Amino acid sequence: MSMEEDNPGTSMATEQTFKKGGAAQLVRIYVKKYIMELILAGLIFILAFTAPNFFTVTNLLNILRNVSIQGVIAFGMTMVIISGEIDLSVGSTVALSGVLTAYFTGWLNKAYGLPMETTVLIGMAIAFIVAAGAGLFNGFIRTQFRIPSFIVTLAMLNALYGIAGMITRSFPITTLPLWYNKLGAGYVFGVIPIPALILIALFLLVLVIMNNTSFGREIYAVGGNEEAARLCGINVRKVKMVVMMVVQMTAALGGILVSSQVMSGSHTFGKGYELNVIAAVIIGGASLGGGRGKPWGTLVGLVFLGIIINAMTLLNMSEYMKNLVTGLLILLAVLLNSIKYSKD
Amino acid sequence: MNVLEAAHISKEYPGTMALKDVSVSFESGKIHALIGKNGSGKSTLVKIFSGAIEPTRGRALENGRELKFSSPAEAFQEGIATVYQELSLSPYLSVAENILMGRLPRKGPFVDWKSTYAMAEEQLKRMKVSIPPSALIAELPVWQCQIVEILKAMSYNPKVLILDEPTSSLSVNEVKNLFSCIRQLVSEEVIIIFITHRLEELWELVDTCTVLRDGELIGKMDMKAATHNDILKMMFGDVEVKKRTREVGGSDEVLLEIRGLTRGNKFQAVSFDLRRGEILGVAGMLGAGRTELLRSIFGADPFDSGEIRFRGQKITSHSPLKMKRIGFALAPEDRKQQGLNQIMSVKENLTLAALDRLTRRSFISRKKERELAERQVKDLEIKVSDLEQPVSSLSGGNQQKVVVGNWLNSEPKVMFFDEPSRGIDVNAKQQIFQIIWEQSRKGISSIIVSSELEELLEVCHRILIMRSGRIVAERRSDELKLEDLYLLCMGASEK
Repeated sequence: MSMEEDNPGTSMATEQTFKKGGAAQLVRIYVKKYIMELILAGLIFILAFTAPNFFTVTNLLNILRNVSIQGVIAFGMTMVIISGEIDLSVGSTVALSGVLTAYFTGWLNKAYGLPMETTVLIGMAIAFIVAAGAGLFNGFIRTQFRIPSFIVTLAMLNALYGIAGMITRSFPITTLPLWYNKLGAGYVFGVIPIPALILIALFLLVLVIMNNTSFGREIYAVGGNEEAARLCGINVRKVKMVVMMVVQMTAALGGILVSSQVMSGSHTFGKGYELNVIAAVIIGGASLGGGRGKPWGTLVGLVFLGIIINAMTLLNMSEYMKNLVTGLLILLAVLLNSIKYSKD
Repeated sequence: MNVLEAAHISKEYPGTMALKDVSVSFESGKIHALIGKNGSGKSTLVKIFSGAIEPTRGRALENGRELKFSSPAEAFQEGIATVYQELSLSPYLSVAENILMGRLPRKGPFVDWKSTYAMAEEQLKRMKVSIPPSALIAELPVWQCQIVEILKAMSYNPKVLILDEPTSSLSVNEVKNLFSCIRQLVSEEVIIIFITHRLEELWELVDTCTVLRDGELIGKMDMKAATHNDILKMMFGDVEVKKRTREVGGSDEVLLEIRGLTRGNKFQAVSFDLRRGEILGVAGMLGAGRTELLRSIFGADPFDSGEIRFRGQKITSHSPLKMKRIGFALAPEDRKQQGLNQIMSVKENLTLAALDRLTRRSFISRKKERELAERQVKDLEIKVSDLEQPVSSLSGGNQQKVVVGNWLNSEPKVMFFDEPSRGIDVNAKQQIFQIIWEQSRKGISSIIVSSELEELLEVCHRILIMRSGRIVAERRSDELKLEDLYLLCMGASEK
């Protein structure tokens, strides 16, 4: 008997439980699988009866609008976390991209006399390009020098806030055209918030990438077992650099939405976003170890967080109470997910 | 004098007898070797002594007293210490801390460093070795780590010390140093049992040699009277090596040329050719550089010098991705860590290497994906109830087939198999061989690395023998006897 012999007994047992599975067991498997969805449904049901004005179309759309900015970043973060990495620098990218957009809108307008309606587009493009560059840089340092992305992006978080502060010289930049406000604060048909539409569009895009493209499959493969993926001829470095770039671009989108809502660019935007975003992804069932996670799960996690905060506001809870409850619920959700992936 | 004894021990597993009525005794003051091929039952016997498993019949006795332990920890407390080949030391703690782990002397609430070092020094003296007790484990060469591990066990003054292949990762010089230290322990009243695969070590270290074959005790010999031939005969008996079916043959067309390939101290100046449809084996002991060679050719690791030519074309800037594209495949040694994605389903694992083949404009075709996965499940007879089943729920043999099936989907021209039969049952093993032969008939070449020499003789056309990073011999497998192959791998001079 060699030491590394597999135990045929246990594997056979698992194979069999997979085959059999009575009705009760099926129910258990499904409850386990959709535990967060069930909790969310229960939460909505209870709140519909207890919180005033909760179950109205306006309020539900409002919830989507409230989560949309961190939400777009969360879908980028989902890809990063599935690939086994993390990006802590997204909060500062939110600040920097708002600042860059506002700064270039004003500067190009003043220096070349172009109308702000046009220069804002150039400003946005620059914000996206800079964010993509920051992401590629994160990915390059991560893969070239094998420094954990946690450290690389922590450094980037500080650096980008620094740059944003240097550009604004601590004063918000407000040179923005009127139409820009529509992006973050406008409505379609008078009821549907535009940022909520952007959120749904990005969700669908990431959903298709993760489920239907070879690139999505490669992200799962790299996160699940990097060495096996490499030996299967997957370009691990390319995958990691691309996802680190994509998350930064979603952060830039988030930053543009924030600056459009308040019609200015400031280095104070986005503080602490990274943690809320990561919380939503983790509540959605992704594993920080990589390889696990779903865009749908992230959407559930986002809505879950949004509803709790919304309900607490409707119930007139204090800011401190809200923090306490949110913290406990994040912990609870993660515990439930760990049960979900545990073996019977 | 202390005596450790096995009295009529049998161990049954479903379908196999790991040990059949083994009776043997080991006295203190001597070093006893326990040898046998893979699967001979030597690990099982050691595990019974150390309390990891219970015998089906028979008893283990120590000075006539029966040994019955509920766990290895209990066995350890009762004086049966086992040192495994994987080290269990903390690399960033000192030698002294490792030896005295969990029972550091204290002065009040603080560690008494002076007596810690003094106590460690005392232990180090037992084996007459000069390692500073304050040195970090990470700074020591591997053989000294082995010494620390042995001393850690010895510091509990065990009655039995079992050394499970302590030399498998050591160089020749390191083995010499380790042995002279182990010799120091003979004067103490401890029974030392030494498990090894390296035959030549027997004459250097041990006093007696106990041979197991297929779960049976073949004999116990005094090493002074034993010759190489005696030991080999005891280990192998008169086994009939199965031959592959005749019709499987290679062609003359050279597909792959390796010239002077060198990677640091892993392997040096390796040159060979691989023909179309040929099955080439690479034999050698653990640490001979076989796995490293395969990985470097496949682009998983770099190499320092030499060249690789495929169909006459020199391969530059090679990586697993590039090698896959020109038709190479690698079923790695460690299935769980390197071959499979345990989170993914059987279907996803079967189509990972061939992802390019099932996408159109980077969109995955579900239909194609299912087709490819189903084809391998059918061809390789992989036992699954559902393609969506997680691959981690399969048995070892079926997991190995998934690894192979994944690569077959990429339609390779040359396949590398690193220890393809490790940890899988006899049936699955034969099925894997059938697959390799089937590929050979289709003109696909294979290179197989295996520690099971019989297996190489059975499957391969030709065998390269590696020793300490070099190819030292090349033989046709139908002209080679098992004992001769073993001797070639050992590099033992005729005694």
